[in-house]
Amino acid sequence: MEPIKAVDIKIFPYRRLKPATTEKILNEIIKLEGILRVLLNGESLPQIVGYGPAKGTRVNHEDRKVIQLKDHDLELSVTVGEIIITILHEKQESFLKNLEDILENNLSCNFEVSAGIFTKTKITVSDYLKIDRGIEQEIEPTYIGLVDPGSKSEETVRLIGD
Amino acid sequence: MSYKAQYSPGNTKIAENRRNHMDPDYELKKIREIADEDIVKILGHRNPGEGYKTVHPPLEEMDFELDMMKEMVEPLPGAMQGNRTRYIQFADSMYNAPAQPYDRARTYMWRFRGVDTGTLSGRQVIEIRELDLEKISKTLTETELFDPAKCGIRGATVHGHSLRLDENGLMFDALQRYVYNEETKEISYIKDQVGRPLDEPVNMGEALDDEHLLDITTIYRSDNISMRDDPEALEVVETIHSTRTDGGFGLGVFKDDLKRKIGE
Repeated sequence: MEPIKAVDIKIFPYRRLKPATTEKILNEIIKLEGILRVLLNGESLPQIVGYGPAKGTRVNHEDRKVIQLKDHDLELSVTVGEIIITILHEKQESFLKNLEDILENNLSCNFEVSAGIFTKTKITVSDYLKIDRGIEQEIEPTYIGLVDPGSKSEETVRLIGD
Repeated sequence: MSYKAQYSPGNTKIAENRRNHMDPDYELKKIREIADEDIVKILGHRNPGEGYKTVHPPLEEMDFELDMMKEMVEPLPGAMQGNRTRYIQFADSMYNAPAQPYDRARTYMWRFRGVDTGTLSGRQVIEIRELDLEKISKTLTETELFDPAKCGIRGATVHGHSLRLDENGLMFDALQRYVYNEETKEISYIKDQVGRPLDEPVNMGEALDDEHLLDITTIYRSDNISMRDDPEALEVVETIHSTRTDGGFGLGVFKDDLKRKIGE
């Protein structure tokens, strides 16, 4: 596979985002050109209580919602605190300009946007430990740094392509 | 020997707030009303209206003829009845919550008798006989020590004190024990402190204003009042740090002893 030049753009809002806000800005962002993948980071939200006398009770957290993204359903399993978007390097300038507009129009809090490398780019020892040696032949290169190799990708990855 | 308690060092507003919390003669301002029954519901140790469970018979019925403590210490009302020991635990956001664990620990020790309190980085537990616990919980939640948005009553899964607030200004809670009503702007508890759903929500009123919190908080922050702006507080902390380090390692104390042991 031909290597490509890509860069990560990190959006760091000063508040944790509501699902409605996340849905709104993601739907705007996804229209922009040059996006390769999007990573939503945040504190994970349990479905059931894990500790204490209420262990096993359903949580029903308001932030754990299904959002609509380009007619695809996407269940948020985290409270969104950080959005990392990998884009083609050549589109960086125009992307950042449009992104600032989107965020300023839709976010009620302050935010920081930075460009750099914020995801893992190579397979590491911990990946070998979790899966096996030789996973580089089996793993889809675009998933590196996007998912934990120990997790099930059908639960954490959504393919929303054109 | 008589001396006047100084409670906490410092000349800033933060230090003043800490002293006010700790000083038992200072009356904490009551800012909200919560029914006794609602407190019982949030605590989740017994059902409202249910009697207190006991672990021993009332003290008056017990044979303590030879116990000197009986004369020396006046028992708490809860101990007198033989109540169980139960707890309430708070998590306080670093975003200028009115109280924080160390402040709470000292406040509890100054203000309440017979408490056992435990301090952790993000939470503060208080254990006492159930009857007394309910009275104390009422004080702790109705006064300026508590803000429904930045403080949480959390028995288990307490994580959230160091996380960013959500868009409504609420501290993160993985179990979402309390919710924000966007129309009334009020916060209500929908679960008890360990995450069991309540039959009906308990209204805690509106969150305190952010500007007001800057005034009443006991947390030093560089974006409000930094600890470096308070030389007296810093001096006390540095003194404690250096004496603890010297004492802990036995610098200058064990040296001669060690030399003697190795035969010098």
